Amino acid sequence: MTTVTTIAPPPASSTTRARGSWHGTGRLFRLALRLDRTRIVMWTIGTAALVGVSATSIDGLYTTDAERLAYAQITRDNAAMIIQAGPGYGLDRPTNGAILMNEVAVWTFVLVAILGIMATARATRLDEETARAELVRSAPVGRHAGAAAGVLSVLVTLLVVGIAVAFACVGAGFGVVGAVAFGISLVGVGMVFAAITAVAAQVASTTRGTRGLALSVLGAAFVVRAVGDVSAPWFSWLSPIHWGQAVRAYADERWAAPVVSAAVALGGLAVALRWADHRDFGAGLLPPRPARATASRWLTSPIALAARLHRGPTIGWVVGVAVLGAFYGVVADQAEEMLADNPELADFLAGLGGASITDAFLATGLLVVGLLAAGCGVSAALRMRAEESAGRADPLLAAPVSRTTWAGGHQLVVLAAVVTVTVAGAFAQGLGAAVSMGDARQVGRVTVAGLVMAPAPAVLTGFAFALAGAAPRRAALAWAALVLAASMGLLAEVLGLPGWARDLSPFQHVPAMPAAPFRLAPVLGLIVVAAACCLAGLAGVRRRDLAVG
Amino acid sequence: MDVQEQVIRLRGVRKSFGSTVALDGLDLDVSRGEVHGFLGPNGAGKSVTIRVLLGLLRRDAGEVELLGGDPWRDAVELHRRLAYVPGDVSLWPGLSGGEVIDLLGSLRGGIDRRRRDDLVERFELDPRKKAATYSKGNRQKVALVAALASDAELLLLDEPTSGLDPLMESVFQDCVLEMKAEGRTVLLSSHILAEVEKLCDRVTIIRRGRAVEQGTLAELRRMTRSTYRVETERPVDGLASIDGVAAVHVEGRTTVFEADDAALDAALGAVRAAGVRSLLAQPPTLEELFLRHYGDAAATEADRR
Ligand SMILES: Nc1ncnc2c1ncn2[C@@H]1O[C@H](COP(=O)(O)OP(=O)(O)OP(=O)(O)O)[C@@H](O)[C@H]1O
Ligand SMILES: [Mg+2]
Repeated sequence: MTTVTTIAPPPASSTTRARGSWHGTGRLFRLALRLDRTRIVMWTIGTAALVGVSATSIDGLYTTDAERLAYAQITRDNAAMIIQAGPGYGLDRPTNGAILMNEVAVWTFVLVAILGIMATARATRLDEETARAELVRSAPVGRHAGAAAGVLSVLVTLLVVGIAVAFACVGAGFGVVGAVAFGISLVGVGMVFAAITAVAAQVASTTRGTRGLALSVLGAAFVVRAVGDVSAPWFSWLSPIHWGQAVRAYADERWAAPVVSAAVALGGLAVALRWADHRDFGAGLLPPRPARATASRWLTSPIALAARLHRGPTIGWVVGVAVLGAFYGVVADQAEEMLADNPELADFLAGLGGASITDAFLATGLLVVGLLAAGCGVSAALRMRAEESAGRADPLLAAPVSRTTWAGGHQLVVLAAVVTVTVAGAFAQGLGAAVSMGDARQVGRVTVAGLVMAPAPAVLTGFAFALAGAAPRRAALAWAALVLAASMGLLAEVLGLPGWARDLSPFQHVPAMPAAPFRLAPVLGLIVVAAACCLAGLAGVRRRDLAVG
Repeated sequence: MDVQEQVIRLRGVRKSFGSTVALDGLDLDVSRGEVHGFLGPNGAGKSVTIRVLLGLLRRDAGEVELLGGDPWRDAVELHRRLAYVPGDVSLWPGLSGGEVIDLLGSLRGGIDRRRRDDLVERFELDPRKKAATYSKGNRQKVALVAALASDAELLLLDEPTSGLDPLMESVFQDCVLEMKAEGRTVLLSSHILAEVEKLCDRVTIIRRGRAVEQGTLAELRRMTRSTYRVETERPVDGLASIDGVAAVHVEGRTTVFEADDAALDAALGAVRAAGVRSLLAQPPTLEELFLRHYGDAAATEADRR
């Protein structure tokens, strides 16, 4: 008889091998925290300040039950408000906490979702794309250690943000239980989007693709919950943003809701992990397509290249802003109905100089469009700076291309993009308003109002170019300027700043069309400031060393 | 014959970044039609020099003349006449290699299609791939093809072959020799000594932002000690005490020593007095030559001069 010898299993059992692929996570985690510490601090301060300032302002605005009831009446059954604010939990017996949540919760969820997306994309795809991870992986660390350390660092960031926001609420005199619930719901939403991004990083093979996919999911999540909150509450449950809202902070807290977020986040991370095991380093599940072998006839100048580089992101902004603008337009109609049974608002309107509530609402929508267009402009201006520090300006400037042509080309393209985004958003809003009101004239007047708005985002864009040219290492401060400009009105009120501080924001100067009449002087003034900023940026680029790194 | 035209002329050029001194009084001369090797240890200032020549960095002090102009002031005009290949090529991730080559070509005022396609073929480059998916060597090839397809009269090459395989390296060398035959000028920064030996007419060695040696390879060799191995009838006397003779080793009747050219006569006199049986002279290898100039000894020597 022959003996059948079975081959002994390898000494490393599957569990130890699994542990091996995590080896080194701890050390890489500490490294990630060190590299991210500035970002963690910025996000924490920014988010906590946003909530804290709003809390303080609400505390000052609503002091009696009557005022709170009036607020609840205005917002509860108004689709426009629900789209921006959510279903309004706790507004049947409104407390200041419920009002605070109604005002800031959705936007804070969006903010932490963006935080989760950006940080996770950086920790997974970007590391892989830049081959930094290659260096790390060549050291004795496990295959998943880098990404795991990155995701852990995102979790820590979200926890710090959540705790800071909770403290901000308590500090402003709001209840502890609601603050804890809000903090937990923020961590949950952020982690779900971190997991979504981790999955997207397996699908796309580039950082840009990863961010794009994840941000599209965020956009869809916002729309889904907006539609659900207005018309069919069950539908909202398809949106991760709703899982945060469903915690009902400062209403009747539901402590089971964060479990949904946690389960989905863990599930997403598990899927990402599985897929990461089945693909090559640096590859994505979507295979790259063969590209052109020769350049098209128009890709022959620095400005054409700039147009090509800014094209993709600009299309993204145009689509996003247009969708949002259309929303504002469609619901503007309801703003009018609301007026009928709200005398308080009628008083408020008297202060606006006799404009209709619809027009006031449309003007507010355009302000949001303008702020988003400024976001497009700032990020595009910083893209020029990134081109320089990645060394991609060198081959252009080593050809017969002057610095003025290079930087000026970027400026022209980006300013055109900013105007396009603003006008597209305004046009979509006008279209939405025309459809819902059955009044075709809205298209023209809202679009024109958008055109008048455009110089304000152009000023912020110009400021970003001025920084990128004259103080390249500080260029990211342009984002701070944008946040300040967006919140200056509110900040000036809460902190009691003098009028000139408020006037620093270019958005204070654009005529609030269509609610206010057109005025030429401030618009011309903004154009001059934007042009001066761009010229300062050009002068900076011409004067200094072009630094790589 | 008239004096050769200077294509690049640097005198006492200085450049610092904060407290880091990158160029510390650099002199450099490149004449028309030559392939000039630009050598030095890591961090010596080669890339900074080339970026100053491109007008990407502004010199703090000194004179720089490039093709008869000032690289900072006349950047655009001068760049019509030169092409550049960096050692670490960063390309636009969204463009294909072919698109990048065409774009850079058309910026320089058009590209010779036949030459471009020929080079793409010779370098075995797939122009249809997105730049983000190229390997390092292939990124390098994109920049090389873009530069070599131009009709620039001056090529500034900063470690252009880093990442190329030996086959591509030899294609590159052929291309540079063709350029030289056409009368173009090349400034080639490189760490690959075989490449330098094959291509360069003259070399400049820099260290810590200063030129420490300049000349043809033959001249540099002459300046460096050769090694001599002699067999004599009697032990050689007094060799070690001659100025310019070093590393004297005696093994029985065989003596091995190094000697400067200036000390050779005296050294051979001492050897002859001992009755020469055989003599073997060995010029320094390229590696020895450069190690001497890169190492710390060279710095103190250069400072003494
Ligand atoms: N933008 C910069 N900022 C600060 N220091 C710099 C910068 N660019 C170069 N340096 C410094 O200048 C010195 C010379 O650098 P350079 O890149 O010219 O070296 P190199 O001779 O090209 O070396 P390698 O052979 O490694 O390429 C180095 O000390 C470097 O750190
Ligand atoms: Mg270098």
